[in-house]
Amino acid sequence: MKLWNPNSDFATGAAKLKDQQIPIIQIRNCLLVSIQTELHDRLALDLQESLMERVRVTDAKGVILDVSAVEVIDSYITRILNDIGKSVRFMGAVCYIVGIRPAVAMTLIEMGVELDSVNTALTLDLALEKLELLQS
Amino acid sequence: MRTVESEIGAILSGTISAITQRSIFNRLGPLAARPVSQLSNQDRMTVMAELESSVRLFARRNSAELIASCARALGVDGPAGAAGAPAASNSSAAGSAPGSAKKLTVEQEKDIATARLEAWSEAVRIGLSKFTSVKVATAVSELARNIVFYAGKGTVELRAVRDDKGPVLQIIASDQGPGIGPAKLEEIWSGTYKSQRGMGKGLVAVKKLVDEFQLDTAPGRGTTVTCMFRGER
Repeated sequence: MKLWNPNSDFATGAAKLKDQQIPIIQIRNCLLVSIQTELHDRLALDLQESLMERVRVTDAKGVILDVSAVEVIDSYITRILNDIGKSVRFMGAVCYIVGIRPAVAMTLIEMGVELDSVNTALTLDLALEKLELLQS
Repeated sequence: MRTVESEIGAILSGTISAITQRSIFNRLGPLAARPVSQLSNQDRMTVMAELESSVRLFARRNSAELIASCARALGVDGPAGAAGAPAASNSSAAGSAPGSAKKLTVEQEKDIATARLEAWSEAVRIGLSKFTSVKVATAVSELARNIVFYAGKGTVELRAVRDDKGPVLQIIASDQGPGIGPAKLEEIWSGTYKSQRGMGKGLVAVKKLVDEFQLDTAPGRGTTVTCMFRGER
């Protein structure tokens, strides 16, 4: 007997969900988004929109985007991250990007593109720490 | 019936990110969706050879263990090293010989990810450093994105060559799209160009990343970007 059937309703449902949207998790008054998939136009816009809505509803003070699973960040992804950072700032919250890989950071520097609309932290833990300091 | 993708995905998850897994399965093509039990021996070897090189490349730990698990799941006797090696080198002969070329068609957004991964593994294979390989992947990502966004369809060619100083990877991104006019080109290089979808900095970024850069474009004639990455300088 198989425990995991990839064709079950549950499995296809999960795959569908993954295709359609990136989950947003709330930790206290922070929203956490872990980017595990290829960001494309519509997905990025959906994420931006639902983040805004969640910030409003939950009164979140911070948004943390975890990009540790993203192996390559090009100028297009940078623009998406900057746009999300700006819109979060307009909502009165602070946006942190965490988990940028060393090679990715080096590449961004060489390309001369800036991630200037977001704050950065090495890890999720450190971002939470910084956000907590901000609030006290 | 478990497919190659579900079987291998279960083994790789936790060590290799979902994005990378996606790209690995894309590279396997239709084989990924086939049930493991229906694979021919030749198919198994092809899958195993592909998995072996990808796992070695992307797993940050336990790569030998993972490869052994994959081999067991596919019913291959041990890692391709023994039985699989001849089959593996046959099936990928075109890609492994030095001075070889690989041409990828880029048309949809998912092709960008495939081109990127292909370029990355090619860079690692010919011996470029880890950081340079990420730069190669980023440059190819920019070029492939330009093709998809502005031309609709085109090709990215990867050519591994050697010069007296070491390995060189040549990337040729070519399309038959609208081309870029002189006025727009001026804006692009001066950094004032703003695109609707991106930053308008893709070409500038690529030019800064690569060791050699050449752009051939004119309105109505399409665009060809040729660039080179060298190993340690």
